[in-house]
Amino acid sequence: MLTKKGKYGLKALVHLAQLPVGQLAFVNDIATGNNIPKKFLDAILGELRNAGFVQSRKGKEGGYRLARPADEIKVGHVVRVLDGPLAPIPCASRTQYQRCEDCNEATCQVRHVMLEVRQAIAEVLDQRSLAEMRDIAGDDDLSVALKIQA
Amino acid sequence: MTGRATSSIIIVGGGASGVVLAAHLLKSPNPDLRVTLIEKRPHFGQGIAYSTLLSAHVLNVSAAGMSAYADDPGNFSRWLLERGLVTPEQAPVYAPRSLYARYLKELLDDLEAREQQTGRLRLIREESLSISPTASGVEVALANGTSVVAHLAALATGHDEEPGAGQGHAIRMGSEADTALAEDSRVLVLGTGLSMVDAFLSLEQRGHRGEIVAVSRRGLLPSPHRKGNPIKLDVADIPLGTQLSYFVGWFRDLIRENQKAGIDWRDVVDGLRPFNQKIWQNWPSSAKRRFVEHTKAWWDIHRHRMAPEVYAGVTEAVQSGRIRLVAGRVVDITPGGGFSVQVQSRHTQQLETFDVARIYDCTGIARDISTTSNSVVRSLVDRGLARPDPLRLGLDVTANCEVIASDGTVSAKILAVGPLTRGTFFEIDAIPDIRVQCARLSKQLLG
Repeated sequence: MLTKKGKYGLKALVHLAQLPVGQLAFVNDIATGNNIPKKFLDAILGELRNAGFVQSRKGKEGGYRLARPADEIKVGHVVRVLDGPLAPIPCASRTQYQRCEDCNEATCQVRHVMLEVRQAIAEVLDQRSLAEMRDIAGDDDLSVALKIQA
Repeated sequence: MTGRATSSIIIVGGGASGVVLAAHLLKSPNPDLRVTLIEKRPHFGQGIAYSTLLSAHVLNVSAAGMSAYADDPGNFSRWLLERGLVTPEQAPVYAPRSLYARYLKELLDDLEAREQQTGRLRLIREESLSISPTASGVEVALANGTSVVAHLAALATGHDEEPGAGQGHAIRMGSEADTALAEDSRVLVLGTGLSMVDAFLSLEQRGHRGEIVAVSRRGLLPSPHRKGNPIKLDVADIPLGTQLSYFVGWFRDLIRENQKAGIDWRDVVDGLRPFNQKIWQNWPSSAKRRFVEHTKAWWDIHRHRMAPEVYAGVTEAVQSGRIRLVAGRVVDITPGGGFSVQVQSRHTQQLETFDVARIYDCTGIARDISTTSNSVVRSLVDRGLARPDPLRLGLDVTANCEVIASDGTVSAKILAVGPLTRGTFFEIDAIPDIRVQCARLSKQLLG
């Protein structure tokens, strides 16, 4: 499941991916621009920095920027760091397995299918880069609007 | 590669990776397939890895992992059983490497016999000099002045035969320079890994009894295998594309948690194996560089292990003082009779001098590809048809094994498999990984 943390983290990274390469963004601007609580965003950006996706600079002129080109960072990379193993339900994880109170994992058909689902999730998210995510932002509505204008 | 004929393929190098690739290609029913395997040594299927005749030189991977076929993991184990070379109770089996060479030879003999009518397989015992792209494919020039042509060429030249540059007076064990030694002479070995262990076993066999000083940056000895069951992981569990420190932290935690549950660290290390290439390929180049510089030595001793019996012999030799492990670096070598080798300790920075009769290069298989002694690879690099990968571990190739030229163009005609592709495929020195790579490449070329 994608948590709010994962969602906010991705939004913040797309925000950074929209800036010219190397330009820093203020945490406040990212927060207000994407409707993310500032304190929460601080914590998320800290984790993204530890994993090597963003760099920060302290001080008055400080802020955050991507540590690597946006086409190298895959969505799946980010989600694993913020939300842990990709899993549609808590029992469908090998490393952070959480047993369900009400079923037997050895015979649970639901879990079996969900283990397959997580492979599919990984396949999609590990193909998609931040750059692609940025470029589909604005998506169909915008491109339709542009066409009408033209 | 669509739209171009890819059914005739020259494999340059008939060692283990060349034979494994040929075997996978010939699984295709395509009647137009033509596989030409070129090897300069008198025997196919041996290469450097499996040419040793010493029975103490056993495989570092158990028989269950050594099948030549990716889709038939039991192939080698069955071969051993059918010939009565092992009993079913013996497991895991670490077979002598010479037996593995025989396995590959018989496998190739069978293929040759089977394809005699079809003409799909041709073996050439000759040294290859160069590969040149032509309008319709490639031309491989041979040392006897002739050449062969095909649609594609696949480099399977394996490990380098000569010691790396800068190893000075060091020689390779078993090379021509490796003449008889006085029984009690002291020797120095550069490296403390699996190659050093092989050298120790060779010296034992020859009746050498002198001290063996083994020097490497950290002086670490590889760990022994133990029977176990690799833990199960999915790619969805593994952090990809992070900085190295983040990944190492995750992996250490994973080992710790599993150890708490009574699981051996080996099972965690081995559980990661199916994903090692993916992890490597997703890392930023800074993480790859850091790994090679700082983490690889630790990784290698846990990941590339030896048979338990071999380990027992080596540790005994270390305890008895026959092998002395030194963590440090060689700062000076002065020849004169033998060699006077000055080593600076990693921990105390103090200098110590060892007077030795010989220096063996066992620094392992990785070296800068631009200094390769292989003429085919050298000529490709010299002409700009190939280039070293960014970390200079091998040739720069795509994830589809296509060789990348110095200007960045991807060759549709020149491919590479095995250790040459280390920069892209990371761990591609051992059969379990090479066979998977060859199976994929065959599918890519022949469908």
